Order: sequence, then structure tokens, then C-alpha cells
Amino acid sequence: MTSAALSQIKVIDLSHHIAGPYCTKLMAGFGAEVIKVEPPSTGDALRRVGPFHKDIESVETSIPFQWFNTGKKSVTLNLKSPRGADLLKRLVRDADVLVENFAPRVMPGLGLDYETLSRVNPRLVMTSISGFGQSGPYRDYEADEMQVEALSGMMQVTGDPQRPPLKAGPAVVQYSGGLHAYSGTLMALLQRRVTGRGRHVDVSLMDCGLENIEIVLSNFLQVGRTPKRGPGPMLPWGLYRCRDGYAAVLAMPQRHWRRAGEIFDDPRLFEDRFAHVLDRMKHRHEYDQMLEPCVRARSRKEIFEEGQARRLAFGYLASPAEALESPQHAARGFFAEIDHPVVGRHRQCGAPFRMAATPWRAARAPLLGEHNDAVYGTALGLGAAEIQGLRGEGVI
Amino acid sequence: MNGLPLESLRVVDLSHAWAAPHCTRLLADYGAEVIKVEYPRRLCILRGARRDEGLYDRQPAWGQVNRNKLSVTIDLGRPADRDALRDLIRLADVVVMNSRPGSLDRHGFGPADLERLKPDLVILSMPAFGTTGPWSSFAGYGAIFEAMSGIQSLTAYDTESKPARIKEIDTLNGVVGACAVMTALVHRAETGRGQHIDLSQLEAATHATAGEHMLEMVMNGRHTLPLGNRHPHFAPQGCYRCAGEDRWIAITVRSDEEWRRLAAALGQPGWAADPRFTSAAERRRHHDEIDRLIEAWTSTRDHREAMHTLQDAGVAAGAVLDLEEIARDRHLDERRYFTEPQAAPGTRYMGMPIRLAGSVPPVVTPGPRLGEHNTRVRSGLLGRPDNEIPVIGPDDIGLAYDPE
Repeated sequence: MTSAALSQIKVIDLSHHIAGPYCTKLMAGFGAEVIKVEPPSTGDALRRVGPFHKDIESVETSIPFQWFNTGKKSVTLNLKSPRGADLLKRLVRDADVLVENFAPRVMPGLGLDYETLSRVNPRLVMTSISGFGQSGPYRDYEADEMQVEALSGMMQVTGDPQRPPLKAGPAVVQYSGGLHAYSGTLMALLQRRVTGRGRHVDVSLMDCGLENIEIVLSNFLQVGRTPKRGPGPMLPWGLYRCRDGYAAVLAMPQRHWRRAGEIFDDPRLFEDRFAHVLDRMKHRHEYDQMLEPCVRARSRKEIFEEGQARRLAFGYLASPAEALESPQHAARGFFAEIDHPVVGRHRQCGAPFRMAATPWRAARAPLLGEHNDAVYGTALGLGAAEIQGLRGEGVI
Repeated sequence: MNGLPLESLRVVDLSHAWAAPHCTRLLADYGAEVIKVEYPRRLCILRGARRDEGLYDRQPAWGQVNRNKLSVTIDLGRPADRDALRDLIRLADVVVMNSRPGSLDRHGFGPADLERLKPDLVILSMPAFGTTGPWSSFAGYGAIFEAMSGIQSLTAYDTESKPARIKEIDTLNGVVGACAVMTALVHRAETGRGQHIDLSQLEAATHATAGEHMLEMVMNGRHTLPLGNRHPHFAPQGCYRCAGEDRWIAITVRSDEEWRRLAAALGQPGWAADPRFTSAAERRRHHDEIDRLIEAWTSTRDHREAMHTLQDAGVAAGAVLDLEEIARDRHLDERRYFTEPQAAPGTRYMGMPIRLAGSVPPVVTPGPRLGEHNTRVRSGLLGRPDNEIPVIGPDDIGLAYDPE
């Protein structure tokens, strides 16, 4: 029996919404025991965010919740009650990791700051994800995805120059933060093997957003270059209208571009004066005007297949529905079947990467408080009457 | 004070372009010794499109993405170089590659060869579409995954507009790569065993931006985006014009309480009780009108002043900062985000994406010159005689941009 990569790791997950839960979703998928701690009766606020399965709104049918919380256990706990905070400390005692993404003032306000928790368990790695980090003038600023995209420069360089800056459709900054939190937490765990001590990991979503524009930002810092919104300087590099939608045409690898002469029917495109990317860039408008009708005459599939047959990185704009049915995903079994008592059997993306020796656990998201008895009873050793009492008092 | 967490780790970086080098950059930033293997006849695309006057050693993108790494040159066509690379990999903990599956195998450096060379090695392959399946030999870059994964169709001003690129599939995939390496290293620390990781950039991008959107397709047979700058559930949300040229502010109202705060901050407490605006659903129905009302306020104000005013009132508002403003942002400054490399005084580099409390402050060394560490690695680390240290002449250099 192969054990999972993180099977020795126990995680207390106080996080909600997207960034923290994506981090702990990955931990659970790679085998960690993740105990998700949710407020009694309402649960993670994401449980109330749609879209909902078949548009039926309930705490167990939020589609984003179903995605970001796979493989976790759920317990309910009111951290604002003294008894709740005390129970959390008992959970932390034998945990390896605690992940939270509250506003930075919240954990200290609950008496659950890193110093306190590290006294309870010096080996604890505590990972705090927040919009702007645990310090600095923006620390307590309110932010959703869009505000961090704005303040980290991502929005300024997304969209068209003649139109307003554009927010990414997907929650890119929050996903980025979840990923950085995951790798940073594992780094701290590796270092704990040497030092014997955990540490506090401070993940600022703004800093993670800056990572996403590292090349344009470095160009500015080092040589003062300030690009306008919109496509980068390379040519061709992006979507062009074709017969049945958009084709992605990239002159990449650059050395193969001439081979596209067998696909696009205008020999001027491949004249020596345009052989080098810098020459094409100098005549951007002229070049695009020649290329556009050539692409428009072909279909997405033709361009993709004929380009790739010549080792060129060509593709096409797929709708999510088309992507879902991609033959590559089917052949690699990217989507995993998951059973859920409320939303039923369904497909979700499986592992983000395939590890030859250790499995990904495809498992469903937990029901609210589903593991209260197992965690409070079996793991903490509370009696049935005591658990009932906590329930009655609204502690769990 | 602790050292950096990966300081005893050695990584051999056979990768090029952006995503995989971004992965090894993160490992290098946190202390790993990352040895970048370069082939002078086809330099990495980040070394730029011009070869004159050593420009390839001074590209800002190269300096950033390959910072804190060492550079050695290797020509896999030469037996002595293949031997040297094998010896180097025997001394390594991690190897990262992103060539088309099979291309390194032809030289004896495929994942299976490396596993035989050193069983406790962590090997990360991150080719475009993974190492298996009908598209495995195909080429791809960020713009290709973003389009073919369905992600790009989620970002546009409206359903009629051409979809826009988001920022940035390559960096996201790079961080997923770092997550993969870290996962395998934790497992290796427990068991002593290495392993090969097959990371498809198409899959990683899908997973790490759009999992919930794919699930919405599966469960409800539709997807909610693109909505421009609006939000599928909260209202209003928008990017509003401010005073000055190309100045904007991003505002999101996530609850009725936040709507009341916004109304008060804009001097319009009556909006809170206006029946057109009482719930998110009502506000979404009147979104155009609300946008005009908000913009009447923002368009006469400086974007940062407006942000401070609204934040003081408890409204989620963010000024759309440009690069210049980021470079002198007081929040980043107070957090000592930017750093000045000792090796390049007077220049500024980005800081680290995550802070490990109690750790040594970050030191950044800009991306290495081509073959800068040939002597240190060939002679110092591998004990090769001086006559095996490559000498790179101007005629030995070729660029990724050179036409066939």
C-alpha cells in the first residue's frame, strides 16, 4: 500500500473563501489530514456563494465550496467563545500546520496569535494568508479579488489600452496566494526537521499578485519600461479570428515560424525581411494585416493540427465545455469521479500534477460539522454528553 | 535567526522560457543552490532577441526569472559534457525540465535515465501537455494553455469582446511546479525515496485558476463568466474612472452593510433605503445606473485619495496602480518589499512572495551571465581539469529567436 506524500501531516484549517481553502485542498489531496474548522450553523462563508448545484441554494450545494474543500474533514467551532478558543488550542496541540486567512486583526483578537499558539505547540507551522500581509499601512484594508488585482498592478496591464483596466475572470490572485501558501508551508515543515521548531508564514496576496507581473515589473524597475495594457510586443503571439472562432497563433519556437508558410497562404509573411521577430515587431500593423485574412480562412482545428504537425505552438480558444471534453484530458484521466450525498456523483479536476510514487486522493467536500463526533469524541476524547452540551451552548 | 529553508538543497535546472524557470527561481529565492544548465547555441528566450555586446546577459526578464541561480554551459553533443552533467546530477536533489517529452531522453537524460542515475532524486517534468496522451509531443506556451484550457474564454469586457489574457499563466504554473517539488521533498524526507512528477501545464493551469468554473460546467451545464469587471454575485462591482489620465479605482460591495457604508461615504445615505438598491439582486438589475452614480463621485477624485476615503468607511476599494506607483508604494516600502542586490547596486529587485518570520532577510543576486559559474561548477564541484571548462566565443552563441 503506497502512502500519500503528506500522510504524516495534520492540518487545522481555519480558512474560508478561496485562497486558504485552495492551499488546504492541495494538502488534503496529497494525503494530509485536514480538519476544517467552520462557524456553527453557517459554516465557511463560501457555502453561501453560488453558483449552486442545479441552482438550489443550501450550505451543501455551493459549487465553489464543493471544489475548494475536497478531501477535508469538517468540524464546527465558535472561536469567539472562550470554550471554543480553548478547544482550538487542544486541536493545535498535536497539529503540524494551522492555515488561516482572516483579516490580520482577527486571530490576535481571539487570543489565538502565533506567539500564543506556538507556546501551545512549538512545532506548529502557522500560515496566515491576507490581502496585504500581517504588517504595513494597507494591513487592515478590505479587499476582494479585484482590489488586490488593482493594487498589485495586474489590472493595469490587463485588457485593452482604449478601455478600462480589466479584472481577470478567474480568481487568479487568490489561487496564487493558495499556491504560495502551500509551498511556503511545506518549506517551513522541511526546515522544522532541522530546527525542531515551527514558524509563522506570512502570505500577502498583494505580493503574490506582484509575482504574476514579474516580467513587466522588472522591466520597469531596471530600465523604466512602461507597457500599455494589451498584448505583449512579440508577433505573432495570441488570438486571431478564424473561420469558426479564435485560433491561437504563436511564432514559437521562433526558429520554426517559416514552416507556417505551408499553412497560411500569403508568401509575403515569410519573406526574409520578416524572418526575425524584431523585424516583424517593427512592422506590427502591416504584418498583422497580412496575417489576419490568412488565419480567417482556416478553422481552429486545422490551424491547431497543421501547426503542431510542424512543431509550432498553435492552438485555439476553447470554451469550458470544449475543454472539459478535450481528448488530452480524457486520455490522461484528468477529471476524477466523486460521490457526494447531496449533489451526487460528478466529475472534478483531479490532481494538479501526477506523482509517480504517491497518489492523489480524489474525495468529496465534507458536510458542515460532519466530523464533529469523530474529532471531538475520538481524537480529543470528549464524552457524548459533553459534545451534546457544547452543541447546546452553540460552541460547536 | 534561522537560515533559509532550502539552503541544503541542490537543483539542476534544465528548463527554459518562463514557467519552469519561475519554479526554480522560487526554490533559489528560498535558499536552494540552483544550477541552470544552458546550451549556448540556443540561448533561452528570456536572454532576448539580440546577441550584440552581451545584451543577453543584461535582459531584465532574465535578471528576474533566473535570479539567485548559477549558470553553467553544457553541450549534450559532447561526451565530456554529458559525463559532467551526469556527475552534477548525482550531486543534486532535484532536477527540473520542461522540454518536449522524449527530447532529453535522446541524450540519456530523460526521467527514467535520471531515476537510474540517482534513485532518491526528485524529477519534475513540466512539458506543455504532460508526458502522456495524444497531445504530449505538442508545443505550448502560456498563451496556448490559457486558450485551450477554457480559461481565456472567462475573461473579457463582455461576451462579444475578444477574450483577454490574464496575468499570468506562466507564473501560476511555475508556482504549481514549486508545490510539486516541495510535496516530493516532504515525502523524500519521510521515506528517503525520490520520484518523478509529470506536470501538464494545461492541467496545472486549469486546476489553479478554473476548477470551480469547470465544476459549474459539469454540474449546471453552463459557465457564469465573462462579466467584464462585474461580479457574478456581489453588486455593485466595477472599475471606475478617477481624475487624471488612465486612473481608476476598483470597488466591490459584498453585502448590504457594505452598500450602506458606500452610500454614506459618497454622501448619499438615501441610497441605503432606495427600493432599487436594497439587495444584491436589485442592485445588479440597476447596475448601469449605480455605475454612473459612483463614477460621478470617483471621476473628480484622485484614485488613491478615493481609495483611502472609501477604505476608511470600510468599503473594499483598491486604486489601480501602475508600475511606477507600485515602485514607490508606501505599503510595500514599509514592508521593505523591494531589495537592492549587492551585486547590482543602484538597481531594485522584487522581494519574496512569502515571508518566513525569523528567517534571514532576502538577498537577491540578478540572473547569472552565460556560463558565469562554469569554473566554480566544473572545476570546484566536479573536479574536472581546467581544459574541460568551456570557452564560449562569439561564434558559439545562438538565440532562441534565430530563424531556421
